[in-house]
Amino acid sequence: MSFFGSIRRFALREKFVLLVSVVTVASMLIISGYLIGRQNKMYHYELEKRGQTLVANLAYNAEYGVILESSSELENLIRGVARADDVVYISVRNADDSVLASIGPELDPEVGEIISDEYDNEQNGLYSRLHYRIFDDREFIELRYPVQTEHMTISKENLGMLSSDFQGNTTMEKIGEVRIGVTLDNLKQEINESENTSILLALLVVLTAIFIMTAFVRVITRPIESLVTLTDKISKGDLTKTVDVRRRDEIGLLAESFNRMIESLKKSQDEVEEYNRTLEEKIIERTRELEEAQHQLIQSEKMAALGQLAAGVAHELNNPLGGILGYAQFTLEKIEKITIDTIADKDLDSYRRYLKDIETQSRRCKTIVQNLLKFSRSSHSVEFEDVNINQVMEETLTFIEHQLMMKQINLVKELTDNVPNIRGNAGQLQQVFTNIILNAMHASEPDSKIEIYTRYMPPLGEFPGAVEISIIDQGHGIKEENLQKVFEPFFTTKEVGKGTGLGLSVSYGIVKEHGGEVKIKSKPGEGTTFTIVFQLEKSHSSADTFNNK
Amino acid sequence: MAEIIAKTILVVDDEEVMREFLFEVLEDFTVEKASDGDEAITILKDKRFDLIITDMKMPRVTGEEVVKFVRETHPDSKVIVISGYSSLHSVSSTVGYGIDAFLSKPFTINQLRLEVDKALGGENAPDAVGGQM
Repeated sequence: MSFFGSIRRFALREKFVLLVSVVTVASMLIISGYLIGRQNKMYHYELEKRGQTLVANLAYNAEYGVILESSSELENLIRGVARADDVVYISVRNADDSVLASIGPELDPEVGEIISDEYDNEQNGLYSRLHYRIFDDREFIELRYPVQTEHMTISKENLGMLSSDFQGNTTMEKIGEVRIGVTLDNLKQEINESENTSILLALLVVLTAIFIMTAFVRVITRPIESLVTLTDKISKGDLTKTVDVRRRDEIGLLAESFNRMIESLKKSQDEVEEYNRTLEEKIIERTRELEEAQHQLIQSEKMAALGQLAAGVAHELNNPLGGILGYAQFTLEKIEKITIDTIADKDLDSYRRYLKDIETQSRRCKTIVQNLLKFSRSSHSVEFEDVNINQVMEETLTFIEHQLMMKQINLVKELTDNVPNIRGNAGQLQQVFTNIILNAMHASEPDSKIEIYTRYMPPLGEFPGAVEISIIDQGHGIKEENLQKVFEPFFTTKEVGKGTGLGLSVSYGIVKEHGGEVKIKSKPGEGTTFTIVFQLEKSHSSADTFNNK
Repeated sequence: MAEIIAKTILVVDDEEVMREFLFEVLEDFTVEKASDGDEAITILKDKRFDLIITDMKMPRVTGEEVVKFVRETHPDSKVIVISGYSSLHSVSSTVGYGIDAFLSKPFTINQLRLEVDKALGGENAPDAVGGQM
C-alpha cells in the first residue's frame, strides 16, 4: 500500500486525536491567556492600590518631618515603610525638590523609558504614577504624593484664637513630596510562573488527552479494522470466521449484526453449493436421458425406414427362396424316380448342381438378412471401421430397387470403381442413403429417373482427397426458403401422418459424425440433388478398389 | 411318323437363379434364356417361341414391354408372366394385352408345370405322339 494509502487507512484515529488535541490546546490557551491576563491586571491593581495607600500615608505622616526638616525622623518613618513588599526606594523631598531622606537606590525615571504616566483624579489630582523601564528589563512604578500642610491665613483679628475655634481660610500647601519606587519584578515573576505553569499544565492535559484518545480510539478502530479484514476474507469466499467482540455498545451491536450477516451468507453459500451439486447430478441425468432419447430417435427413424423397405426386403428374399424351394423340390422329385441301378453320372452331376445352387441361394438369403440386421442394429454402439461406399450403396439399393420399379422410376447407377474406403459405420451410412433415396423416390413421378453416383476426388496439395456421393432426382424440388430448413428436426412438407420430418436431420447428424458434409441443391419443378462428401484422412494411401459381390 | 418336337420356350428374367432354375425344370423343352427385356426383344425379332415366360420387374425394358412386343409380333405365342409381387397391380397392365397365366414367386415346380401345360394346350408331354402315325 502506498504512503498515502496507509495515511488514509488510519485517518480515523489520527483525525480524531488531532481534532481533540487542537480543541484542547486551543481551549487551554484561551482560558490560560484570559486568566493570566486577569492575574496580571489584578497584580497591577493590587500593587497600585497598595502603593497608593503607602505613599498617601507616608506623605501624611511626613508632614512634621518635612516642616521640621528632620532627616532622622523622616528616615525612621520611611524605614518602616521600606519593608513593605516590592518597595525598592523611598524618598522624601522638600519643596525645592531636594531630598530630605531616602532609602534604597536613587533611580531616576528620566534615565529610562517612560511607559506611561498618569494622574489619578481620585485624590484631587494629587496622586501621580509613573510607569517606566530602565536598564532594559527592569520595570518600576514610582508613586508620588505631595506632602501637604494646612496653611492658615491668619488675619490680625484672628490672632489669639484657638485653632479649634478658628474658622478662617485654610488651604493645603505643598511643602514637599514623597516618592515610592515599586518594582514590578515580583509581579513579572509571578506572571511568568503562572504562564509557565499553565503551559505545562496545558501540555500535560493535551498529552493525557492524546493518550486517552488514542487508547479510546483504538477501542473503536480495532474492531473496525478487524471487520475490514473479515470483510476482505468474506469477499474471497471464506465464511468460516466471525467477529470476536463481546461489548454491549454500538460496536458490539455492529459486530453482532455482522456475525449474523456472515451466518446467513454462509447458509446461502451452502444452499448454493447444495443446489449446484444436485444441479450437476440433474444435468448428468438429463444428458443421459437426452442421449437415450436421441438414440431412440435414430432408432425409430431406422424402424420407419425399415418399414418402408419391408416390401423390398420381402421381395429380395423371395427370389433366392424361390430358387431354394424349387431346386429342393426338383431334386426330391428326381430322386424319387431313380433307383440304385438307374442312377447315372449325369444325374449325380445334376443333383450336385442343384444342391450347389441351393447352397448359394441360402447364402444369399443369409447375406440379405445380415444386411438387414446391420442396418437395424441399435446405434448405441457406433464403431467405425473401414467401409466401402459403393458396397454400402449397393446394399442399400437391394432393398429399394424393388420400390423404384414399382413406382416405375428408372434408376441410373454409376459407382466409380476406384473409390477408396472411409472410416465409418456401414449401418448408419446405409440409413443415410436409404433416407435420401426414399425421399427422392417420394418426390418423383413415374417415368422419371433417379441418378446415383459415387466419385473419388484424389488428393491434391493440401487437399487430402475425398469421396463424393450424389443422389439426383427429377422430382418436384424444394422451395428456396425451405432449402436450409430441410435438415431441421421435425421439418416436413408432407401432410400430417406421412413422415416425421426427422429423417434428414438424423442423416445430417450421422454425416457430421463421420466428419462429412451434406449439401443440397434444388429447384422447384426441376428436381433435387443431394451431395455427400467425406474427406479422407490425410495419411490415406492410394485408392483401394473394392469389388462388391 | 410323328416328330417329337419339343416346344420352344423363352425364359426372360434378370435373376440368374430364376433363369437357371426354369431352364432345369423345363428340361423337357427347348429353352432359351434372356437376361433382360432388351435381349428378349432382340431374340424375338428373329425367332418365334411357343411360350414366353417373362418376369415383370426388369431394368430398362420391362416385362410389360416384352409382352406387348410378343403380342404384336407373335400373337399366337403363349405368355406366362411371373412376378415377385403378390399384388396384381403390377401385372394388371399386362392383362390388357392378354396373358395366358400369371405366376407369383415363389412358386412350386408343380404350379409351374401346371401353368405351362395349360398354356401349351396339353400337348406338352414330350413323348406324346402327336398326330397319327
